[in-house]
Amino acid sequence: FSRRRERAARGLGAGGAMEFRLEAHRIVSISLGKIYSARGQRGGLKLHKNLLVSLVLRSARRVYLGEPGGECALPPRPGPPPPPDCERLRRGCRPLASEAAARGRPECPAESPRKRSAAERDPAAGYPGKKPRRETEQPPPQEDMETGNVASLISIFGSGFSGLLGKERGAAEATEPGQVCCEQPVLRSLNPWSTAIVAF
Amino acid sequence: MKCFSRYLPYIFRPPNTILSCSCHTEADIISTVEFNHTGELLATGDKGGRVVIFQREQESKNQPHRRGEYNVYSTFQSHEPEFDYLKSLEIEEKINKIRWLPQQNAAYFLLSTNDKTVKLWKVSERDKRPEGYNLKDEDGRLRDPSMITMLRVPVLRPMDLMVEATPRRVFANAHTYHINSISVNSDYETYMSADDLRINLWNFEITNQSFNIVDIKPANMEELTEVITAAEFHPHHCNTFVYSSSKGTIRLCDMRASALCDRHSKFFEEPEDPSNRSFFSEIISSISDVKFSHSGRYIMTRDYLTVKVWDLNMENRPIETYQVHDYLRSKLCSLYENDCIFDKFECVWNGSDSVIMTGSYNNFFRMFDRNTKRDVTLEASRENSKPRAILKPRKVCVGGKRRKDEISVDSLDFSKKILHTAWHPSENIIAVAATNNLYIFQDKVN
Repeated sequence: FSRRRERAARGLGAGGAMEFRLEAHRIVSISLGKIYSARGQRGGLKLHKNLLVSLVLRSARRVYLGEPGGECALPPRPGPPPPPDCERLRRGCRPLASEAAARGRPECPAESPRKRSAAERDPAAGYPGKKPRRETEQPPPQEDMETGNVASLISIFGSGFSGLLGKERGAAEATEPGQVCCEQPVLRSLNPWSTAIVAF
Repeated sequence: MKCFSRYLPYIFRPPNTILSCSCHTEADIISTVEFNHTGELLATGDKGGRVVIFQREQESKNQPHRRGEYNVYSTFQSHEPEFDYLKSLEIEEKINKIRWLPQQNAAYFLLSTNDKTVKLWKVSERDKRPEGYNLKDEDGRLRDPSMITMLRVPVLRPMDLMVEATPRRVFANAHTYHINSISVNSDYETYMSADDLRINLWNFEITNQSFNIVDIKPANMEELTEVITAAEFHPHHCNTFVYSSSKGTIRLCDMRASALCDRHSKFFEEPEDPSNRSFFSEIISSISDVKFSHSGRYIMTRDYLTVKVWDLNMENRPIETYQVHDYLRSKLCSLYENDCIFDKFECVWNGSDSVIMTGSYNNFFRMFDRNTKRDVTLEASRENSKPRAILKPRKVCVGGKRRKDEISVDSLDFSKKILHTAWHPSENIIAVAATNNLYIFQDKVN
């Protein structure tokens, strides 16, 4: 096991933020590989495992793209514990122990902090979790497992991630000039990977 | 905990396995283990769709130091691989769960299930056979009626004991998703089967229909965020059951409240610990097993790293949390990569609900004494398990200097996982499935 990789997965260590995003990138590619290989599995697509993989994929993608809600996957920064964050809770992050204690606070709107479906309230996420494709000529009374045509799922990610490159460059320009050199190796390594995804 | 430091191991292998552990076939991997209600019988199911039942020998006066050993009683093919032509899907024959019915006559009944079909099997003994038919001879060939000059009454004569298993009911075509649990109700007339999104209630006598009692399938599958991972009936209250989810929550439902139990009576969830958050927090909080205590007062849940005990009267957090292998918390990324993070470990109570047991990697399994708060790690392996040997507690070294006899985290064999264990309902006898081998350990007898 690579200790450096594991620490990066937890957002720790020197250059933590950079390592963390590299790790998110790596997790995204591993997850896509799992979804793809699940196609040939005996016994059909396992809904539970694919759901979990898609949740990891969504978290990693959010962190990598710097989208809101990505911080759900990050451990909190050191310092005093934050007050109950209604915004964060509404984005679908699970309630923290400190928030559970302060559940009766009037500042938080009546919306229950235990909301489950983050996909509904986070339109910025873009990633639906599962993209069902009905098989053609499926007779109506026969229920489809709706775990979907995985090839189409991959192509959705392909379009999502080929856009990644464009966004990356934009993000790099927005940072300090000194940081652009750091981003270059990342962009270079992205290229063959995103080509592979589109090829799926 | 003193009784658990001493064990008499017996090793049983299902038939047709190759002797050496390293080249067993995939079909021999044990996928479920279950004692019946008296502990006299122990059933195992494997990936090849076979069920093997072991029976405990009667204790003999000649060898009092050998308490009843378990020997093979019956073996049968429960499920075969099937192909769903409409959906182009192969249906695995792997036995996901076995549950016994309480014994009501001389025969034994059990439920076995694969991903799609539940079957009720009757296991009965035959030790007599009829002889002296008039119209056919002993081979079964018909006799020429004109040759029969006298009539006789057939008689039953003793024969070698034969144990036969017959499928009495087949409960099919009720699950679109993969069945993960079955549970017999305390009324002994009904049982439930649960898949990823639905739970169905069956009557044992009726195979062509079932009641759907839980349905969490969203109208739009894109909004799917959680699945059902396990379900169980309350041991005494036939109207109550629980089901666990991939989000680490448990719902308790009362079937008297409504026909469709989509609204829970109780909702058990522990708030997340922010310091442990990572990309994999959701996966490791997914509950892989839920079990009521024998008393019916508590439920135990297993997630990837912990076992938790919940009081039915307290929904906001468990009353006890036990770390099974917390040293894996820093390895989650690698465990995600090699798929180990998706392993579904089960957990069991002992007969008095004072000790709980669950499996881990490297053929280790763990026991936690709820009263003394002591725990032990034991290993199920051929090298350490000579007959009448005593199991030595094992220890995993989590960093720093490794002592002799300790094993470091990086040396653990993650292909050797103990997912399925069972505890005798009243005695200190445990069954541990390690890949294709079944280990049965007993409390040492003086």
